[in-house]
Amino acid sequence: MIPVLRLAAKRIGTSLLVLFGVSVLIFCIARVIPGDPARVALGPNATAEQVANLRAQLRLDEPLVAQYGHFLADLARGDLGRSLYTNRPVTTDIAEFLPATLELILVAGIMMIAFGLPLGILAARFRGRWPDHLIRVLSLLGVSAPSFVWAVGLMLVFSYYLGWFPIAGRIASQFEIGRVTGFLLIDTLLAGNGAAFRSAAAHLVLPAFALALSGIGQAARLTRANMIETYETPYIEMARAYGFPERRVANRYAFRPSLIPSLTIIGLDLAALLGNAFLVEAVFGWPGLSRYGVQVILRKDLNAIVGTVLIISAMFILVNIIVDVLTVLLNPRIRHAQRGATP
Amino acid sequence: MRRTARILAANPLSLLGVLLVSLVIVGAVFAPVLAPFPDHRGAVVDFTNFNKPPSATHVMGTDVVGRDLFTRILYAYRISLLLAVVVLAIAVPIGVTLGLMAGYLGGWWEYAIMRLTDVFLSIPPLVLAISIMGVLAPTLVNGMIAVTAMWWPWYTRLVYNIARGEKVEGYVLAAEVIGASRIHVMFREILPNCIPAVLTKMTLDAGFVILIVSSLSFLGLGVQPPTPDLGSMVAEGARYLPDSWWLAVFPGLAILVAVFGFNLIGDGLRDVLGADR
Amino acid sequence: MNTLEIRDLRLSFRLPVGTVEVLHGISLRIARGERVALVGESGSGKSVTARIILGLLQEQRGVRLAGDIVFQGRNLLRLPPRERRAVRGTRISMIFQDPTSSLNPVFRIAPQFREVLARATPDLSEKAARARAAELLDEVAIPDAARVLDSYPFQLSGGMNQRIMIAMALANRPALLLADEPGTALDVTIQAQTLDLMRKLVVDHGTSVLFISHNLGVVREFADRTYVIYRGRIVEAGPTEAIFHDPRHAYTRALMAAQPRITGGGLPDIPERSDDFLAPLIEHEAAP
Repeated sequence: MIPVLRLAAKRIGTSLLVLFGVSVLIFCIARVIPGDPARVALGPNATAEQVANLRAQLRLDEPLVAQYGHFLADLARGDLGRSLYTNRPVTTDIAEFLPATLELILVAGIMMIAFGLPLGILAARFRGRWPDHLIRVLSLLGVSAPSFVWAVGLMLVFSYYLGWFPIAGRIASQFEIGRVTGFLLIDTLLAGNGAAFRSAAAHLVLPAFALALSGIGQAARLTRANMIETYETPYIEMARAYGFPERRVANRYAFRPSLIPSLTIIGLDLAALLGNAFLVEAVFGWPGLSRYGVQVILRKDLNAIVGTVLIISAMFILVNIIVDVLTVLLNPRIRHAQRGATP
Repeated sequence: MRRTARILAANPLSLLGVLLVSLVIVGAVFAPVLAPFPDHRGAVVDFTNFNKPPSATHVMGTDVVGRDLFTRILYAYRISLLLAVVVLAIAVPIGVTLGLMAGYLGGWWEYAIMRLTDVFLSIPPLVLAISIMGVLAPTLVNGMIAVTAMWWPWYTRLVYNIARGEKVEGYVLAAEVIGASRIHVMFREILPNCIPAVLTKMTLDAGFVILIVSSLSFLGLGVQPPTPDLGSMVAEGARYLPDSWWLAVFPGLAILVAVFGFNLIGDGLRDVLGADR
Repeated sequence: MNTLEIRDLRLSFRLPVGTVEVLHGISLRIARGERVALVGESGSGKSVTARIILGLLQEQRGVRLAGDIVFQGRNLLRLPPRERRAVRGTRISMIFQDPTSSLNPVFRIAPQFREVLARATPDLSEKAARARAAELLDEVAIPDAARVLDSYPFQLSGGMNQRIMIAMALANRPALLLADEPGTALDVTIQAQTLDLMRKLVVDHGTSVLFISHNLGVVREFADRTYVIYRGRIVEAGPTEAIFHDPRHAYTRALMAAQPRITGGGLPDIPERSDDFLAPLIEHEAAP
């Protein structure tokens, strides 16, 4: 267990450094707006007084370094400033919109793994035969269209033509579910409302699948590549020489060693869902953080932009830390490193 | 090179990729000749013909102001391809040079460059481009800047990993012993070994730049009307679902065809060159 | 009755550039409890022969086989794939070159051992499998079986892994053991120890062995009879001692001259090719 903790601590350390860099980068991007950011944010109809007020509030008259210092000090107190768009603290906005996005991303992530890995295993097992070719074409198709195109296509076919799934939103409007966690799948269950749960789940299927499609393709390709490498190893030949059933060789003896190198990249793809959620939420009118992000970006809402990007990046980094730790947990060679070789 | 071409030609999927990409390039380059209504690329209005489903005159139908969709898609390809070429032409040399420096020079260079790369890679790619585009005015040039900014770190990381491995190889040591300059070693000795991987990634990325650029304009953060753009066409078309399905479906398919083509070629190249990383 | 009899085995691969014949009709036999060596350089076709006996090669595409492989009275080449697979790991088993990389790195020894035992006894409980594995490990002189069973292969030494491989190979009391360059990846002393152990066990159990090697010194210690293979043809066959005393084929002589000797002055090279090497098979009289 000790190497795992040590690794996690080390990763969190470097990640904090990287997060600090991200905050500098985002802060710089948000301050390079051509012209007066306050004027840009408030629009041409604002009075000179309003602009001056906002400049003071954003401390735009101070040097950039001092502005950043204030920003960090506020951040340390958990304050990301006020949003001009909602006129509420940015943290409040994020707390409201984040759960919807997380729910979408988590379900998409589960789909990505639940479909991507088995497809990769199948492709490797039937390498060079039709299942392999089929899975290759499907995977490449999956990554070849942006998620908003899949979203539109899925919506057209499964919502409009077939009517299997609702068209947009998170839940049918007749349900009033008290907010506990913000995750509707959980809140509906807590409320003991089965019909509402089914409605929330039905609303999730298409957006999550549209979001997951490219990840499914990536995961399948990657798993296939690593499995094929594993298939060349002596221990797989040994498993076959001893007549272990071919399915068991694939699903257990070849898959497990192949998973370890795949994990890091699957983690990156999982984290990339955070970006693509912007596109899918727009199509399905999903009331999440990404839609909020687009709104504040279009309105040049500086505090909200910085806050949103920072939170998304923090989650991105967190996912990668979790994946790193998982990699270690799954790899006995690192897990048992301290024992060393015994004669 | 010859051998690569021959193996690619034996793979039907790669051939399909070459075919799709050729169609897209020919369509884009010769759009003024091929497009049935060349003036529909701009702010033309034809209210007698708006929202028409596909027909013999308008093979992909017309949009909400009566412009021929096929024409607009061909012209949109011009901009997408131009962006892909420009973004890669800027991002790849920057990324490769930084990667070579980090991998070969090591020490302080390595630390500074790779931490900077980490910072850029720690913002989900699309989110970085969205926030840059958000604060800048949505123009073609700014779009290039935003997408280039999110693209170079991937090449830095790729080349860094190769260069770090090659650095200890005999031929590099030999060059150092006979007194070759660092510049010479980096660009003449190590760089050629990175070319297959970089080339494969570039082919795949040509498609992905098109994909990202269309994503930006889908969100209203890209090329502005009346300039035709695949992403904003899908966004507009999505509002008229399901009745005017062609408005969103054909531009969406246009993105799929172009990106799929590049992916098929890149995938074939990856098999041949073994540049899988 | 012979445990294994191979008659005129031919193997060719269909490649995009044409068909390549790798084995040009080899014949060999192994009597019950007999230890037979197949000796040759890498690429001579000795390893593919073992893989054909197990039926591994047949599952690849573009493989063409002709001839007979009769194992305990049944022709393995004519057997339907299902029955051919049923023989693997039960009545025929195999030991590979590098024991450490032949064991799966992400599983402990115990579950891997259980999988081997389950080939002959499918409904073996975990506890029973563990007890049986411990017994078998004791046979190969591994005393602290509990610790070994709970280890990953990379935590154990090469010699230890080789003992585990031997225990696994003999676990289901196979009639035939294929040993493909066993322990070549190990230190010379460890290799000698584990080979000794293996020999003792196959003698005890009356197991027939096909011993594949390029190392004549090891072969001489181990095998009753020897076949020398060169480029997919058997060039000399006979009792091991007879061949060593009186190597008659040009290739066998070249091979013997090429063996490193502690007293010798460097390695004489085997000529790349020599017309003499393609001379017909020389068979020594079988010892009574």
